[in-house]
Amino acid sequence: MRTDALPLEPVPLSVEQAESMLQSHLKKHQVAIVLLHWFNASVWGLELLTGLALITSPWFRFAPAWLVEMVEGLFGSRANLIRFHVNLGLLWIFVFLVYGVFGFRTFLAREVLQKEIGLDRDDWRWLIVRTLRILGRSQEPLPPQGVYNAGQKLFALAVYSLLPVIMLTGLVMAFQLFGPAAVGWAVVLHFAAVGLVVAGLLIHVYMGAVFPEEKPAFFSMITGEVNEHYAYRHHFKWWREVKQAELEWAERQGAEGRPAETPSSPGPGPTSPA
Amino acid sequence: MARYAIVTDLRRCVGCQACTVACNAEWDVPAGQARTHVRATPLEGAFPRLVQSPFVAQCNQCDRPPCVEACPSGATAQRDDGIVSVDRAVCIGCGFCVEACPYDARFIDPRRRKVDKCDFCLERVAHGEQPACVTTCTAHAKYFGDLEQRDGQVFELVYGRGARRLETPAVAVGPNVYYLGTAQQLDLVQKSFPPREPRLPAAGEGWRRVVRPLVLAAVGATFLGQAVAFFNQLAKGEKDFED
Repeated sequence: MRTDALPLEPVPLSVEQAESMLQSHLKKHQVAIVLLHWFNASVWGLELLTGLALITSPWFRFAPAWLVEMVEGLFGSRANLIRFHVNLGLLWIFVFLVYGVFGFRTFLAREVLQKEIGLDRDDWRWLIVRTLRILGRSQEPLPPQGVYNAGQKLFALAVYSLLPVIMLTGLVMAFQLFGPAAVGWAVVLHFAAVGLVVAGLLIHVYMGAVFPEEKPAFFSMITGEVNEHYAYRHHFKWWREVKQAELEWAERQGAEGRPAETPSSPGPGPTSPA
Repeated sequence: MARYAIVTDLRRCVGCQACTVACNAEWDVPAGQARTHVRATPLEGAFPRLVQSPFVAQCNQCDRPPCVEACPSGATAQRDDGIVSVDRAVCIGCGFCVEACPYDARFIDPRRRKVDKCDFCLERVAHGEQPACVTTCTAHAKYFGDLEQRDGQVFELVYGRGARRLETPAVAVGPNVYYLGTAQQLDLVQKSFPPREPRLPAAGEGWRRVVRPLVLAAVGATFLGQAVAFFNQLAKGEKDFED
């Protein structure tokens, strides 16, 4: 099959095509990213819990008083609580520094900057349709998406811009840098940035772990893979990219006189719709 | 439980600053700062009826301490015996409490970059001793004790001899440092060193009035949004989706 045989937009699949695509898998996340994701998720869980309990003043706190008391009780003292929060935060910063430095070429430059945070026209359209569909106001099909959909991109954009704020303000507070006025503003910025991330995090967790249509995305954060059918339906542009690469590779093999290997499950061509 | 208080007899105070020095030595207070110090009111009246008074300033361990509410991390807390203590391990040095204190009794220690203030020599009191300023006072002008001990000296001075505390109708947070003196003298002290309104720095004020409500609204809104979506999902029931 030639590369121009790939459909330009999603076409309906036959039952056999769908069945075979369900069996074949595409690699979505590398092991390093899967590990980093769950490390990050655990840190966020613990830092949110201890962070909520760290704010006692009724003027500023987010958590109810009983939660503050309960977490403080779990840790034995406020000093332990803040020590835990700061040290885990430092570990978190260190791990992300390692990721940022050693993973810059493999992950940040290639994956994040190119695929995770640039929104195109289809992405904006997707955001509108997705919202309407969740609210039950539309049956319109979703515009085709790349390896990350527009919702994930928006969240990534917010997180990538707020993470440095959280880290730097955390350091200012932990080591009382730049004087009391700076520390005072650092507390407020820390709180605001975490608050914004949490607002998005609620949607991220719901879409990833609860929302039925996105189930394969959740499991892809464990196995690193999604089935091809899900990729075709939810990340068509990415699916096409992967298939095109596979076909080009096969063509090159053929040109060099080696027997061309057929890709595991060739996509449906425009000439053969179901 | 106890309710500790200090009574300073301003008629006996000679303004020698022995209390200041004892406190600085006891608590390793950095130069230029003080947990307690003696100031003087301006000279008032016309010769020969002149009035002036020394004034001993220190943390009042207030009954309703504004610094406790202003402290975001809970480093400043009121103990059951009324003493307002600072846990340095928890303090982040934001300085909100420094602004909140109506008596300006707090300061940021530039070496530790954390807040410091008088705590009635908590460590000494815990060992059954008197605060350093009280034992050092050359004129025996200071008394430390428990206000709930009805046969105690401090109780007698406060409720029997009418020791006064530094309050105004606008700022009445229940200070536990009392002053004895002539009526004229105490009026002058009150006029010269009145407590100011508790306040927050711009960051704290912005957090309390703007940032916190906004964050609560944002998190609340997304929570409600996904709750609606979740109940929609439950109402539809589990079924096999195409994918």
